Amino acid sequence: MTLTSITAKPAPEETQTCWSCGSMRASHFCEACGKVQPPAPVDYFTFFGLPRKLNIDVALLDRDFYELSRKLHPDLNARAGSQEQEWSLQQSSRLNDAHRVLKDPIKRTEYLLKLEGVELEEQSKSATEQARVTGQLKKQVVPPDLLEEVFELNMQLEELRAQKKMGEDDPALIEEIGRQKLELEEKHEALLEELKKYWKGWDALIDRQLARQAVSQEERKQVRDKMVDLLNRRNYIRNLVRDVSEVLGD
Amino acid sequence: MSYSDKVIDHYNNPRNVGSMDKSSNDVGTGLVGAPECGDVMKLQIRVNRDTNVIEEAKFKTFGCGSAIASSSLATEWVKGKTVDEALTIKNMDIVKELSLPPVKIHCSVLAEDAIRSAIADWKKKQETTKPVAVEAK
Ligand code: FES
Repeated sequence: MTLTSITAKPAPEETQTCWSCGSMRASHFCEACGKVQPPAPVDYFTFFGLPRKLNIDVALLDRDFYELSRKLHPDLNARAGSQEQEWSLQQSSRLNDAHRVLKDPIKRTEYLLKLEGVELEEQSKSATEQARVTGQLKKQVVPPDLLEEVFELNMQLEELRAQKKMGEDDPALIEEIGRQKLELEEKHEALLEELKKYWKGWDALIDRQLARQAVSQEERKQVRDKMVDLLNRRNYIRNLVRDVSEVLGD
Repeated sequence: MSYSDKVIDHYNNPRNVGSMDKSSNDVGTGLVGAPECGDVMKLQIRVNRDTNVIEEAKFKTFGCGSAIASSSLATEWVKGKTVDEALTIKNMDIVKELSLPPVKIHCSVLAEDAIRSAIADWKKKQETTKPVAVEAK
């Protein structure tokens, strides 16, 4: 999908008429008669009538979510087993998915990147193939010192696990790992802050697009790549925080 | 998801786990990661300078069973090969040998990356040491 197709309202071809009263409808139910509509294949942003921007007012999103779940609730919509109720079920489950993804900053960003055609695994695989053909070393997507750090901390965790198994844990090691845990959590926070900076950059592009100003592929790619890079780094940190917490038992 | 017998075997009895002296001149070290899942793998080789044959290989992987099995297998495969032969190992060879399912292909990619990166590290050491030795005279 190209950026030109990103609009706050569903594009005309996505808007259809209500099956019941013939008025124009939104993607979930008819504005005129309130009947639930068959699910339209729209992305989560469109489902909520949002542009593809990353700064989302979550309070507002929640409000829309509750209102929509009420309106789309299968029990409210027609007889059990009817077609309308079936649609209602499908729309409700789509609503839940959309809400779950959009309200979470990381999931939202990952989702947007996927909509933008970013395939992390594919990229990694083709980079390896490239390295094979050219004989050049594949560039690791995260800085080497981060890998180094991840590896070292994992070694320490393994040691602590082994000690625990023997029933004798070394207080100094526990303290050291506890200290690293705090550092990791700070790092994690810092990454989120950094991510929000890129959100701003991205949203500014969308705003320009909505104002019908030109946005080059290169501009989009730049912000996109920064976000990909950041999410990649975050995956390592997230795993470490998880593992450290598990070993420390909290 | 079920693991193949070969994966389970490597997972339970990993070959060549350990490490070698990273600063040693005949040792090449590759440390790589799979950002999709946050797993890391270290693979080291010790190369005979006269024959270019990889005489020893060690690995340590923090990751899923398939990554452990892939790296374990990788160390077995590179041992006894020359550096150039080792560079012909492709991740899909590992996938086939271990019958990895599509979702685990990236784990084998990691192993191929590790081999290449270890060899590159070793090659770099050879380049940097030779001219220095000449200059020193
Ligand atoms: S799941 Fe990440 S290397 Fe296997």
